[in-house]
Amino acid sequence: MRLEPYLQFASKAFQREATYRVEVLSEIGSLVLRVYLIRALWTALYAHNPAPPNLPLHAIITYSTVALLLSLIFEVDGTRQLREKIRLGTIATDFLKPISLPAYLFSDGVGMTLLHALNVVPSLLFALLLVHVDPPATASATGAFLASFALGYAVNFLLNFCMNCVAFWTLETFALQLVVRWLSDLLSGAIIPLAFFPGIFQAIVLHLPFAAIYSTPLLLYLGMIQGPQIGRALLEQALWLAAFAGLGALIWSRGRDRVVVQGG
Amino acid sequence: MGSASGVLAVIGQTWRIRLLTMLEYKANFFMWFAFTIAYHGVAIAALGATLYNFPSLAGWSFREVAFLYALWMLGHSTHNLFFFSVGEVPVYVQEGSFDRFLVRPRDVLFQIVSVPNQQWPDELVLAIAWFAFATWYAHVRVDAVFLVAVPLVVVGGVLIDLAISLAIATLSFWFVRVDTLRWVVMSLEQEFTRYPVSIYTRGVRILLAYVLPYAFMNYFPAVFFLHKTGQSLAVVPWLGLLAPVVGGLWFAAAYAFWHAGLNRYQGTGS
Repeated sequence: MRLEPYLQFASKAFQREATYRVEVLSEIGSLVLRVYLIRALWTALYAHNPAPPNLPLHAIITYSTVALLLSLIFEVDGTRQLREKIRLGTIATDFLKPISLPAYLFSDGVGMTLLHALNVVPSLLFALLLVHVDPPATASATGAFLASFALGYAVNFLLNFCMNCVAFWTLETFALQLVVRWLSDLLSGAIIPLAFFPGIFQAIVLHLPFAAIYSTPLLLYLGMIQGPQIGRALLEQALWLAAFAGLGALIWSRGRDRVVVQGG
Repeated sequence: MGSASGVLAVIGQTWRIRLLTMLEYKANFFMWFAFTIAYHGVAIAALGATLYNFPSLAGWSFREVAFLYALWMLGHSTHNLFFFSVGEVPVYVQEGSFDRFLVRPRDVLFQIVSVPNQQWPDELVLAIAWFAFATWYAHVRVDAVFLVAVPLVVVGGVLIDLAISLAIATLSFWFVRVDTLRWVVMSLEQEFTRYPVSIYTRGVRILLAYVLPYAFMNYFPAVFFLHKTGQSLAVVPWLGLLAPVVGGLWFAAAYAFWHAGLNRYQGTGS
């Protein structure tokens, strides 16, 4: 597979996203509000309750703020256009093109993500006016975080891809997708650390694929996963990645065979 | 605005179309219902898990926060059921489809409210169920005062929600792109009303109490029903019962602003 066209796709997506400047503003605006909310909420909670072990106030504020910044990247869904392509029938012409459609969607998503990743910088600066964000715990934590973030990004892409492929079977999938998005926000540790789930729930959510998206990178960032556990955490993410890749390939090949373009 | 029977006929038609749409797209209805459950379920579960680890949020327990959420949910979902399309006005203005409302022989706001949409009472039913549960769960006394006050608070909440979305809709006559403002106000409402206002800094407390008075949708009424004492800004315990008054005032102001905006919009449109 030649790489060059896909780099072009990514660059086009980047330029396309850059034209929506108003959305950039609203993204930063609502992020600032949420950072304020993080500070108000956790400060109030820590003022009236004993702090949980291993999780002082600055750690939870760092966790929540970095999760918020990651969401700027993870909420970009490059595969969303797949749903439209299936619904409108334009997917038929895409099949005629000499490209891999999943790879196109991935590079398009990466291009969009890169633009939104640029937003992380001003967002972080605004956030730093409101809260103190700790840097990664150690140099090795930084490396592990980056590796884990890349794996989480890929898992998130494949989860979105599978969800959008559902459109091959039922044409209206938006609501279903939002349901999965909300549940995944809760179960991935994007809203609260998974350690806050009581007892048995915690054991379950820690080993669901959603944890591979937010929770693992964030715990590595904070240095709460250390030493030999780092390798295990990354391996678990890689296994989820492989599982979703297999599932995605299966759904894709089944779905592609089903395509009957609607008239009109 | 036309005769009363004409108005009733339009309202009847709107609801007939809504019902028929719902029956026609049953799968869609159930998927959106699942979405509504997931949305509120996730919000409540996150509150529950947080307060399981930190039992007191500025003196409020999970039971009380659950009731706080239920009050907001009741007002907000009632507003959505009847007035959801008001929030869509900026979209109509952007697309240019707003002009068609101006040439029809009925009040513009009435026409906007009567646009058939896919708002069904599912969220309100869910809100009533959660409110009933939360009332029991938070040990709120159900007496005559409660039975009279709750509907008044809901009416107040609807008017507050409506006033603010109407004001934003009017701003879209001047500034076509108000998406940023819409998003900011929406997250202020949906996320900031989940917690007692007392956790915020002074400026934000005043903003939520007296500028965008979302605190009257749930916080002040909850202070009254739960007999919370020493709450910031709650100068008198029954302040929350003023919700319909605050809602009425804010709606009157927003409606006057809307009319001023409409006149201006017509002026440039011709």
